[in-house]
Formats: sequence, structure tokens, C-alpha cells
Amino acid sequence: MNNTSEQVPVTVLTGFLGAGKTTLLNRILTEQHGKRYAVIVNEFGEQGIDNDLVVDADEEVFEMNNGCICCTVRGDLIRILGGLMKRADKLDAIIVETTGLADPAPVAQTFFVDQDVSDKTKLDAIVTVADAVHLSNQLGEHHEAEEQIAFADIVLLNKIDLVDENSIDKVKARIKKINPYAKIVKTNRCDIPLNEVLGLNAFSLDRVLEVEPDFLDSDHDHEHDDDVTSMSFVSETPLDMDKFQTWFGNLLQTHGQDILRSKGILSFEGKDDRYVFQGVHMLMDASPMGTWPEGKERNSRVVFIGRNLENMGLDDGFEGCKLN
Amino acid sequence: MSDREKFLEQKISYLEPEETELEGRGKELEINAPVTGAVTIPEAVVAGFGDGTVRFFRSEETPKIIDAHDGVVLCIATNGSEVFTGGDDGRFLQISPDGIITEIANFGTRWVDTVAATKDNMVCSSGKNAYLWSSGNTKEKILEHTSTIGGMAFDRSGKRLAVASYGGVTLWEQGNRRWKSSRLVWKGSHSKVSFSPDGKYIVTTMQESELHGWRIRDKVDLAMRGYPAKIKSFAWVGDIPHLATAGDHQAICWPFDGKDGPLGREPVCVADCGKKISTFIEPLTGEKAIFVGFNDGTVLLSEVDDRKNPFVVRNPKGYEISAISLSSDRSYILIGDLGGNILWSPLWAN
Repeated sequence: MNNTSEQVPVTVLTGFLGAGKTTLLNRILTEQHGKRYAVIVNEFGEQGIDNDLVVDADEEVFEMNNGCICCTVRGDLIRILGGLMKRADKLDAIIVETTGLADPAPVAQTFFVDQDVSDKTKLDAIVTVADAVHLSNQLGEHHEAEEQIAFADIVLLNKIDLVDENSIDKVKARIKKINPYAKIVKTNRCDIPLNEVLGLNAFSLDRVLEVEPDFLDSDHDHEHDDDVTSMSFVSETPLDMDKFQTWFGNLLQTHGQDILRSKGILSFEGKDDRYVFQGVHMLMDASPMGTWPEGKERNSRVVFIGRNLENMGLDDGFEGCKLN
Repeated sequence: MSDREKFLEQKISYLEPEETELEGRGKELEINAPVTGAVTIPEAVVAGFGDGTVRFFRSEETPKIIDAHDGVVLCIATNGSEVFTGGDDGRFLQISPDGIITEIANFGTRWVDTVAATKDNMVCSSGKNAYLWSSGNTKEKILEHTSTIGGMAFDRSGKRLAVASYGGVTLWEQGNRRWKSSRLVWKGSHSKVSFSPDGKYIVTTMQESELHGWRIRDKVDLAMRGYPAKIKSFAWVGDIPHLATAGDHQAICWPFDGKDGPLGREPVCVADCGKKISTFIEPLTGEKAIFVGFNDGTVLLSEVDDRKNPFVVRNPKGYEISAISLSSDRSYILIGDLGGNILWSPLWAN
């Protein structure tokens, strides 16, 4: 039972060292916005942030013994968010900075797994700051760079004054290939209004309803196995609920480690409600979200971002859920 | 919902509007900050708050307010006479019964997450290190661990310190010249930790909704599972003790008598409160009975006997119970919740 207050939104800020995370954090802490933000920084992160509401953290990734092999959480985050929630003065938002080499999954999973964290706070969005000059190289060299793009709800393509238009287009295409659903904003010194990075509510199931599958990039044959890509599916035919649950459950069990993010809106035979889900690896949040709007066509839309998506039999699996 | 659950739900809601005996004769205070913990010293019950204050409650007096931390009082402990606190301002403080503050250490932007004390030792943790001050030594000893410390506890002798972290418990034993460590291993993240009163067992709460225990002598593992929620509180009750635990719709009391403790035995389940989840357990000193606080603010008093009915001590106020403490002479009780509501009441009718 929690009637204490609304959940405090938590924004996760990722990006490689030197991309400009600290610039953004300093803006969040110093700009006159009349809001109280707490910032959780990593002790090995960039220097130069000093403020009452800055909390030092060690990134401690815990494995959970809940039978889910890729279920890891950030132990330090559970502890620190718990402490921040006991403050007498209420916070408007919390920003969690991760180190450049961190996988964003454990941070996101913490909000699915820990009851106190999910009662009192909510994951707002994953914001990735990318260096327009170096991102292409980083994507080739580090899994983590790909993951940070793959998980992003918004990518700040920073330092664009240092690259020409042509290069910007190339790097944008690269980002789109990994994650067509992230919003890309070109910035210099992270000069973006703060309300475009904070308070996005990107993890709410409401927002999943806005997801439009990407049809342009449906050719996945030529990718390297390890590359992060996305796949999407649409069906005008209603789905069979039992079949979908069986298929999807199995899919997450067997390929959850390779599926970084998934989301979808589902139209089930015999159900008036729209069913919406969104997941991180094996963990999922799902709920009916009201009836289908009058006069609009009912269709199911599912998107996946991950590795080795071509080898999961997604096409056949999704096809098999359709009502015969 | 079973018939029994339905019945209890009705019974509890029926009781809600009526003022309890303790509410009737006690004082209700609204502090604008969550209660984060409370301890008992001979002169007072001392509670810590989310606004950095520590308040001393003494019988009929107005509580004395001490501005201790610049932030949240994250943890509070006592050595029987003085109070020790750690805060998110990075300070480890000793507070005398008169409210005089001595700063023992300051870790700056690193929080002081846990504290523990005995007559001869005081220890705090910040991150992965425990900092231990022993009487006779001015310089602290640093006890290093491989992950952030979730909880610490001394045994009754004060010569052993259990430190819980990721992957198990580090058991520190005071030798003639130094503290030696050994490790009790169990996969997962451990937080609260406690020795059984006879010193034979160590028990921890875990990030998973379960408890883990070890018989220290042979490191036999005791897994205590089946909880619907994380266990936020436990306490030893009675001479041949039960470990009474929160994290369920009632209090789950594991028997620690006999040679093998709870190994292969069923717990006693008392103070059923329908769908609510218990969040705090405090023994009624000298009796085989416990106060059980719930996530909606209800507090029940129950004997550790599943044939007896509990009774309502405090009605729900909508906030999770985060502290229950009895005065040293058992004449007063303090009940606090995360909404900053305090009930300070004489325990017995005149």
C-alpha cells in the first residue's frame, strides 16, 4: 500500500566517457528550474560535479536467484533510492548516471524486480549521450556502446559542430539501424531543453501505444551476428491469447539474454481491451490498457531490439499466434 | 480469498474506526519526515527521522529534538547507554543521553549506511568498508569487504561481528591482537543480519524475499523461504527463541530451540492481517509476544502461539510501520511510520 505520494521519476543517463554526460548533469543541477533533482553518479565517472544532492555510488550488479539467468539488478541503486525516498523534502526527479562501459539492463531491471523501488519510483527514460565524432568507432569496438543505443529512449547526438552534415547523416543511420524507436536530437554541449530529456515517461505502458513499427528497415539478412538490430511485426488478424502467451514466454526464457528491449500492443480474439507490454530482457510489464478506440482498426504490433534476432524464429512464432 | 481471509479482512476493517486503547491514552505526533528507526536507552526511546533529526521520547515530557544530520538519519543503534547514527551527509555520530553530539567520522559524499555498537566497540559502514573503533584504541580499524555492506551486528559477547553483503556474511572474531575473518557463503545479496541470542546461529534477510541462516559451528545452511515480500524486519522472541519475521500477511516465527533450529520444521504463523504485509517486528520484552507492524500502518500484538488471537494496538494510517520500540522499563511504546506519524503511549492502563 502506498499512498505516500506519487512515484518519483528516475532518468538513466548513459553514454561513453567524454560524450558529454557531465555537461548535461551540471545543467540539470545548476539551471534555474525550481525543481529538486538528486543525481546519482559513479565514483569512477567524470569529475566536476559538486552539489548537495549528488550521491556517489559504486555500480554493483547483483544476480537475483529467481530462476532467471539474465536477471541482474543494481544493488547500490536499491539502497540509494531507498535512502532518498526517506528524505523529508520530496524530490522532483532522480537522475542516475552510469559509467561509459555499463550495460543499462541491470539499471532498468531494478525497476521491474525490486518492490520498494517500483512502489516509490518509476523508470522515466533511458537517455544516451553519444559523441558524434567517435560514436561510429565506439559502436564497432564496444558491445556496451551498442547496448546504450539499443536501450535508449532518446539519443543526444552531441558535439555536432565538430562533424560535417554527411557524417551526421551516417551516424544517425547507424543509430537508426540499432534502434529505430529512439528519438535522436542533435546537440552541442547538450543544449537541449531539460523538459525534452526529463519527464518523458517512456517506460509507461501508455507510451507503448504510440510505438509505430518500423517498416523501412526490414531487411536483416546482412547483419553480423553480434550486431544489435530491431525487428517488428504487425498483424491485422487477431491473435490467440493462449498461443501468444506460450510462444512469448518460451521466447523470453530461451532468448531473453539476446532480446534487449521488446514492446507491443496486442489484439486478442474475444477481448475488447488492448493488451500492452514492454520488457527488458526476460522481465516484462504487461496490462490491458482500455478498449480499442472506436472506428480505428485493431491490429497487433510487436517490436524487438536485440542480437541474433534472425535466429529466433520470430516470423514463424508470431505467425503461429494468429487465429486460424 | 479463503473464508478465513475474508473473515479477518472484515474483522480488521470493522475494528478500524474504533480508537485503540493505546491510541486513547497516548500522544499522536505528526513529524514532517519519515521515521527511519528507533532504539531504547535506559533514559529514553530515541527515534531517527528523514529530516536528520533525532528525537528523545521520555514519559510525559515533550520530545527533545536534536539536529543530528544534514539529510536522512539512515541508521541508528545503541550500546545500551549511548546512541549511534549514520546519515546521508556522510557522518557517523555518537549522541549522549543528554543529546550531546560527537562526530566520530565524516565520509563526505559517501553515505554511512549501517551502524552497530557494544560497550567496547562502535562500528559504521560506508560503502564496502566497516570502520571499527574499540575502546582503548584511538585509531579505527578498517574491515574491508568485496561489496557494499547491507547490515552489521555484534553478538552478545561483543567479540564477534557479522557483516552482511553480496554473497554472504563475513564473520569477524576478536583475537588477542587482531580481528580475524571467516566467510559464510550464500548466493545473493544479504542485508539485515543478527546472531541468535545463544550465539549459535547467524540469520540474514535477502534481496530475494527470503531469509538465510547458518549454524556457525558447522556452517550448515538454513533457508527460510515462501515469503510474498522482502523481509524488512525480524526479532528474537522468548528464552528458547523464535525468530519472528516480517514480509508476509502475518508474522512468521521460526523455532530456534533444539539441536537443529528450524531445520525441517514448520514456523508458527501469528498476527494474520489479511492482505497486508508485515514490515516491522518488535518483541514485548519479557513475554513470548510480539508487536507486528504492517505496510498500511496497522500494529497488532500477538502471542507467539497460533491458537491465540491478536489484538489491534494501532489503526492503519496508510503508511508503512518503520519503527516500534519499548522504553527500557516497558512502560511506554513508540510506534512510527514512513508518513512521519508517531504514537507514544503508556503501554499499560493505570
